[in-house]
Amino acid sequence: MAQGFLALILHAHLPYVRHPEYEYSLEEKWFFEAITECYMPLLMVFEKLAEERIDFRLTFSLSPTLLAMLEDPLLRERYRQYLQRLQELARLEEERTAGDPDFAPLARLYRHHFDTVADYFNRYNGRLVNAFRKLAEMNYLELITTASTHAYLPLLMLQPESIYAQITNAVQYHQAIFGEMPRGIWLPECAYDHGLEDIISELGLQYFITATHGVLYASPRPKYGVYSPILTKSGVAVFGRDPETSKQVWSSQEGYPGDYDYREFYRDIAYDLPLDYIGPHLHPPGMRSDTGIKYYRITSEGLEYKEPYRPERAREKAALHAGNFMFNREQQVKYLSAVMGRPPIIISPYDTELFGHWWFEGPQWLDFLCRKIAYDQQHLKLITPGEYLDLGYPLQLSNPNPSSWGDKGYHEFWLNGSNDWLYRHLHKAAEEMIALATTYPEAEELQKRALCQASRELMLAQSSDWPFIMTSGTMDNYARSRAENHLIRFRSLARQINEGTIDPAWLSALEQADNIFPHLDYRLYQSFESTVPVELTAGAGML
Amino acid sequence: MDHTEKSYLPRGEALPQYYAEDRLVILPRDPYNIFAYWELSLPTREALKEKVGAEQWPGVTFLLRVCKYTWDSEEVVESYFDLNVNPEHDNWYISVQDADRLYHVELGWKLPQGSFQKILRSNSVRTPRDSLSDLIDEEWQLPDWKAQKLFRRISLYHLSSAELFRRPKKIK
Repeated sequence: MAQGFLALILHAHLPYVRHPEYEYSLEEKWFFEAITECYMPLLMVFEKLAEERIDFRLTFSLSPTLLAMLEDPLLRERYRQYLQRLQELARLEEERTAGDPDFAPLARLYRHHFDTVADYFNRYNGRLVNAFRKLAEMNYLELITTASTHAYLPLLMLQPESIYAQITNAVQYHQAIFGEMPRGIWLPECAYDHGLEDIISELGLQYFITATHGVLYASPRPKYGVYSPILTKSGVAVFGRDPETSKQVWSSQEGYPGDYDYREFYRDIAYDLPLDYIGPHLHPPGMRSDTGIKYYRITSEGLEYKEPYRPERAREKAALHAGNFMFNREQQVKYLSAVMGRPPIIISPYDTELFGHWWFEGPQWLDFLCRKIAYDQQHLKLITPGEYLDLGYPLQLSNPNPSSWGDKGYHEFWLNGSNDWLYRHLHKAAEEMIALATTYPEAEELQKRALCQASRELMLAQSSDWPFIMTSGTMDNYARSRAENHLIRFRSLARQINEGTIDPAWLSALEQADNIFPHLDYRLYQSFESTVPVELTAGAGML
Repeated sequence: MDHTEKSYLPRGEALPQYYAEDRLVILPRDPYNIFAYWELSLPTREALKEKVGAEQWPGVTFLLRVCKYTWDSEEVVESYFDLNVNPEHDNWYISVQDADRLYHVELGWKLPQGSFQKILRSNSVRTPRDSLSDLIDEEWQLPDWKAQKLFRRISLYHLSSAELFRRPKKIK
């Protein structure tokens, strides 16, 4: 019997960045990079572990916007072309560096990496969701959902119907893709406020995850701190993030990813090589932006002096760090189980995009960690939150505390001078959407299409990513115009619906452009006070 | 293709600054700050001006009245304080004293010697807690020395993300 449990939770999310109107967009490249550097490398690690029958469990939260992009034919085709260009570049790099003792092996490594992910992508015919689904069916992964467009829920609570729509559509979409209802939900940015649990519980979800102080500062005081979930009055379990494990992986001082032997993220060949050579292979061509081919290791604190990357050394470090992480968790569960008198659960959630993108060796580290936990110790067991609930430990009734995992721990990163102007408009649009859905409960054909498109535009405007980017200050023009444009489209649709002047050509164009959630049902927005019963489509019919 | 077509916006449409309505909304930002935004529609402003009279009007000040409820109720306002606001402003960050308290805000006006006249009332919000709850469920209690061991260990590592992140958190 294990003395304690470790739940590794990877949250995978990107905003919906699909731009058919442009040949190249930097934002689509975020998505392409995440597929190449994070999602596929991680999937390959998990499949290898599964093949070797290594007992491991992970929880994966896949945002509906990310799933929709993974399933989108245009983006899949564009990704294929993007990857081909990368493969070509890697071949050129092999030629260019031939004979160089430092760089030739690295160029070979990237060429091999891109070829491998291309094969993997083709093996699934570009449908990576099927790789996730397979691993979930084999019980290695527990797949959970999050709000449809990753809306920052605590700041939208004034119109609870719009929260209900965000979550219900997410659950239905998840079910349509994976054939199963998710057991839990990842709250976007771990952001919680009183009342969310009621909607979550009504939809049959069993748990959600908060920042440390979401559970630690719950009231009454949680007997076991964050090392057991608490139970809300509405019957949903709440798991709080373990602060020790976040620190070990994230900390700027002591975190693993900053190790000098690991690959330096900020030194990319896109900036080092002459444009006439590398230009045609950039995305968009001729514009210097990361290729993903990076030949140096972190080496030192500064950005100036960098030494060539040594994959073997980095690999040894990843193994060492996995061992260290495991050792610390063993000590932690021994300590905690003695205090608690029952096995603790350590909740370790991370952004998936850390693994492979920022921290190149992240997938390797995870691989070593799963193997070591399976073979090198006895105190610790990997578990998912759902499996932990199945163990049936009695849970303490307590109210979680409003919080987020963002800077300062509450809502400030999403509500400050750079983005607070947005909420006036988001609230107004949600209010209008509720009014529309309540006024036209049985719309047909063109009107129905316009109402559904209005719902899509509202959801897209609600992404937490826009206020997040406005605060971080890079690409903030993009974020601002995305939020504004979706709101303007929403308003124009609303006006046309109310005036009976829907423009079919424009509506079709919008449906093509913002094509997320093709079966989104606008009636999800009906006022909670309205009594018109509706039957919602669920399951495979959603696709 | 011009930019308008590329962004699928109907010609001439833009996001309005205001919605021609009366509204006061508050959002909790953290245990000690509440964000308020408001709009006073033109007809409301005009009606107010008329009520006050042209002579008195220059002396009018606008105020936010921040009302705090008693600890355990959602009905009883325990105390309030007023903040002067510039009538041209449409939002404000309000510092409040208590975490884990219910607040609502009223927007109103007064004359130099007059009393507060309410125009709008906001929704209510509860500020988040910023410490362990004092409320203990006796059936869910560790012996003191054990509880201390547990919570001391958690607080040792409980860092804000600002201390944790050196690199940007996301692909952005």
